[in-house]
Formats: sequence, C-alpha cells, structure tokens
Amino acid sequence: MQVIKRLIIGFAGTALLASCGAGGDDQGTEYAPNMYHSVAYEPYTQITDKEAGRWVTSIEYVRDSSETNFSDHAEYHNSNYINPFHMNMRLPAPNTVSRNKSGYLPYRLKKDSLQFAAATLVSPLDTAAANAKAILADGKVLYETYCDHCHGAKGEGDGKVADKYAGVANLKGDAIKGVSEGHIFHVITMGKGLMQPHGSQVSPEDRWKIARYVKSLQAAK
Amino acid sequence: MPPDSRFVPLEVKPDTTPIMIKHFTSSLSKFLSVVTLFFLISFTGQSQSIPEDAASISAGQTLFNGNCKSCHKVHQQSVGPALKNVYERAPSIDWIKGWIRNSAKVVASGDEYGVKIFEEYKKSQMTAFTNFSDEQIMNILAYIQAETKKGPDTATAPATGAPAAGAETGGGLPANYLNVILIGMVLILVLLVIILGFLISSLKRFLDQKNLSEEDREVVHSPITASTISRSRGFIFIVTFLVAALGFKAVINGLYSVGIQQGYAPKQPIAFSHKLHAGDYEIDCKYCHTGVMKGKSATIPSVNICMNCHRAVKTESPQIQKIWQAADWNAETLSFGPNQKPIEWVRIHNLPDLAYFNHAQHVNVGGVACQTCHGPIETMDVVRQYSLLTMGWCIDCHRKTDINSKGNAYYDRLVELHNSSKPGTNMKVEDNGGLECSKCHY
Repeated sequence: MQVIKRLIIGFAGTALLASCGAGGDDQGTEYAPNMYHSVAYEPYTQITDKEAGRWVTSIEYVRDSSETNFSDHAEYHNSNYINPFHMNMRLPAPNTVSRNKSGYLPYRLKKDSLQFAAATLVSPLDTAAANAKAILADGKVLYETYCDHCHGAKGEGDGKVADKYAGVANLKGDAIKGVSEGHIFHVITMGKGLMQPHGSQVSPEDRWKIARYVKSLQAAK
Repeated sequence: MPPDSRFVPLEVKPDTTPIMIKHFTSSLSKFLSVVTLFFLISFTGQSQSIPEDAASISAGQTLFNGNCKSCHKVHQQSVGPALKNVYERAPSIDWIKGWIRNSAKVVASGDEYGVKIFEEYKKSQMTAFTNFSDEQIMNILAYIQAETKKGPDTATAPATGAPAAGAETGGGLPANYLNVILIGMVLILVLLVIILGFLISSLKRFLDQKNLSEEDREVVHSPITASTISRSRGFIFIVTFLVAALGFKAVINGLYSVGIQQGYAPKQPIAFSHKLHAGDYEIDCKYCHTGVMKGKSATIPSVNICMNCHRAVKTESPQIQKIWQAADWNAETLSFGPNQKPIEWVRIHNLPDLAYFNHAQHVNVGGVACQTCHGPIETMDVVRQYSLLTMGWCIDCHRKTDINSKGNAYYDRLVELHNSSKPGTNMKVEDNGGLECSKCHY
C-alpha cells in the first residue's frame, strides 16, 4: 500500500509539472514572470488590468483608488491611460513629416488628381544605366511582395487573389499599357477604382521602384 | 440617334421587311410564325454587323481576356455587368463603341441608358479604352456573341468539386481500415489469452483428479507463480527502477517547460487563417507585416490592410464583419467612419524584457526566411509558437548560420579579416560577435 501511495504522489507531481507547458490558450508557466512583463510601454503588449500580477509586486506604490490614477498598478499592468483605448501606441500628430534619408516629403495630391499626377510627376530615381539593373531588381522583389498576388507575376491581372477579388487590372491591357511612372506612383499611393491605397504599406522610394519595374513588365512581350 | 434604336439593322435593309410583314400578316393563323421570323430577321440582321468567323472570335477572345475579363464576365455579373446579349441590350453598336472608348463622356452627355448603368453600378467608372479600333471592338462583340450562344458553362463547377471530394475520402479510408484491423487483432489476441487461461485451469483440474507422482504434481503446481514473481526482489527492483526513471524524465521535462511557450496557440478575436492567406492565396508575409524589413517589430497589420481586399471579398462572413466594425466601414458610402476601435489580437511570441530582438536585422540583413523561426506558418489555421525562443535556441542558430555577406559592402573587410585568420571556414554569426552578451542584453 505504501508503494502505491508513493506512486500516486509521484504521478500527481509529474502531472502538475507537465501542466507547466504551453499549448492552446494556455501560455504555460512563466519562469521569473517579472522579466516577461515590461515596465516600459510595449507597443504590442497591453494589460489594462491594474491588479494583474499583484502577487509578484514587491514595490509599495501610492495607493489611490481614483479612476485616472494608475500609480498604484501592480507589476504586470502595461497600458497608457492617456491614449485612446489605453493603448501603448498612438498615431503621430496630424501633418507629421517623417524624416527619411532620401528627403521625400509627404504626398499631398488628392486621389482624384490622377491625371495631373500622371502628367507632372517624374520619378526621382536615377536613370543612369549603371543603377538601372539594381533598381529593377529591387522593383521586382517589391512587386512580388506587394503586387503579384493580385496582378500576377507578369502583370496580367491573373494572380491567385484575383480569382476572389474581381476587377484586378491587367497591367498589360491597352488602357494601362502606356501610362507614365507618375500615374503608377499615384495609383499605388492613392488607389484607383477597386484598388485601395497602398501608401501606408509601401514607402515612396519603393513605390517609384515598383513603378519602374511595372513599366519594364509592360514593355516585355 | 434616338435612345431606343436597338433594331438599327432593320433600317439597313428596309426594302425586305415590309414585304415580309405584309405577306405574313395576310394570315392571322400564322401570327406566331411572324413573331419568330421577326426575331430571326432582327437577329441575323445584327449578326451581319458582328462577325462570326473563327478568326474574329479568337482575336476577340484575346482582347477580352487582356482587357475586359478583370471586370466583366459573359454570364455572371462581376465588377461590371454580365456582357451576355450586350449587343441586343445596349441602344446600338455605335453606343457600345462610344461607351468602351470613353464611358465618362457618354454619362456626361446625359445619355439615358448610360446614366442608368452608371447609377446601377454605384457610379464606378469603366476604364476608357480610347485606342480600340472599330474592328477590335467588333471582334470582342463577336467573342461575346459566341459565348452567349454557347450558354453558361455549368459543367465546370461540379467537375472541379468532385475530384477533391474523392481524394479526401480516398485518403481517409486506408487509415480507418488500418485502425479497425489493428483493434480487431488486439481483440482476437485478448480472446486467445482468455481461452488459454480457461484451458490451463481445466487441464489442472483434470490432472488433479488423477493420481500423479510427486514429480508430476510439482510440474502441474509450479512453485513459480505470478504472485511469487511479483514478490521477488529482482522484479521489484526492475519495476521501481523503471517507474523512477520515467518519473525522473517527466519531472525534468516538466521543469524544462517552465518559461517556454512553445506550442502556445491562443484563440484570436478574429479567426484569421494564415493557411488561407499566405498558403492558398500566396500573399507575401511582408504585404501585411510591413515592418519586418524596416524595424524591430514585424508589425501586426493595421485594419486598412485587411480592408484592401475585404471591402469586397467574403463580406458576408461574421469574421469580416468584425473587421468592418473595427474600421467603422460604411459599405453604403464606401468610407471609414470616426468610431474606429483597435482589434485586440493576442500576442503569441514574447521575449522577456531583458532580451533584444530585431526583425529587420534578421530578415532584411540576414536574409532569414520567416519560416526558420515561425515554422510552416503558411499551413497554420491557428498560429502557434513553433520555436522554443530560449537563449540556447538563439545561440545554436548563431553558431550554425553563415553570415549573409553577399552583396553587402559592410561585411567586405570583415570577411577578408576572417579569411586571413581562419582560412577555409565560413564566417558564422558567432565570428562577428553573435555570442556577445551585450548584443542582445543591454
């Protein structure tokens, strides 16, 4: 009997330890949990519960039960009550101009200025033959990242997503074949017809590279 | 041109029709024939203007696939109307030509039919194909006419569905059979053991009734029985050893799983499937995770990236409706509202605060594929943490991986130095300080 009791205790112990592993919704047991929970605001971690991790909290914060006072939060709390939805991230202030090494300024043309953009915008990329190959190579990689699942590898509007999303333009079609790089840049930035603006995903320089590559696709037989 | 001039071809040969009409109206009993012939004539009349030869149709097919297919289908409504019978439906062939070349102009001129279509399709303007010649447009119409006559292609849908279903059952059956066979064999073996047990006991009883010698009796009633074996020292030692060893391994495994979140696969607020998006539709990871080449975080895609497609794709799904709510998308006005709220995705991969990791350094500079750390993400319906994300796991990779120095001038001198000090070996990450504490802990 003694042996059986010990066996049961042993199995219970191992079962308990086995439950430390993660799986499904269970994150598993954290070793030294304080280290997993950042004191600084983390962009993709948000714990709004003030009491989270009270059991590992060793610092005595000033206790204050008012709604806006978060100075009494426990160890795991990671949330900025000043921001909307108490998020740790926030959008840049309106009209913020981001610094970039090429000195690109924000694109201020409106969506309906396509004709103006197509006629006036000139690619700032180097047209020297020495760099042309590198630009096209970059453009190809970017095209394969951002465009080809709809527009197809050769730009014929036959990407896999085009089966589900009707209205994907054939870049080699007669209506689009002759457009300028500025036209392509404007359409990537602002969208056109069913295509949505991709300016938030693709940087201006990358958009010009894609435009250059699309022109080379259109020229290809 | 009058707005309703769909019987234009009749005007082309006015001399034949009145005679025919006169001829047939003389007899009321043949009224039906008049109607049929009337339509027949009107049809053939139009066919004269739309070419029917194979060359025109195939030229039209090429043009249609190249320019029209993305927005128009012949038998189904797509972005634009279904083009079946368009040559009979539209006011005139000339009207179609004008519309294709510049639909905006037709709408602006206040053309009744044009404005009606423009309104019906939510004022989305058709691309202007200004360079199409009359002949090209007629070829396209020839193709549409040929397709209209052919009728909708109903055979394809079930044909594609059937083999898939067949393959599924074909793949599932053998595994099931194997299981059934295995269970059956185990059952038979258990039955055999029971039958043998009965045989032994009845044999013993039979032998006990006979007068056996002392030696034979010892054979029948062997002193070594199950109970004597289980009480022997050797048996107890082996069993204790096995239990202790297995228990020890379980304990060690359990202890090592503390602080490791491998296999963590939480339920997300929206049932997004990487298998569908990255696997089936081959959308590049970087299309949505835009930060991965530029910064520390790969970034969780913002809702506007979902809406790039999901303003139109699978909009009836309750999961997509959640995106619409988060974006405060108004499908009527096609605009985002002011009451946007973030989607609270559950973070899966989480390094402790004391370790620094940068995606751009690994993916952009190092050229490491997403799958190296995140596993076969393109096959996961629910994402789980594939890797250990322990320090040992990081170090192991830094020891084994060659530095991606190709085409990166930053590494030129370092590679030169490495080749002179350790000739004949590749420069690994550890050779460039990949094992330094302060690279990741600072």
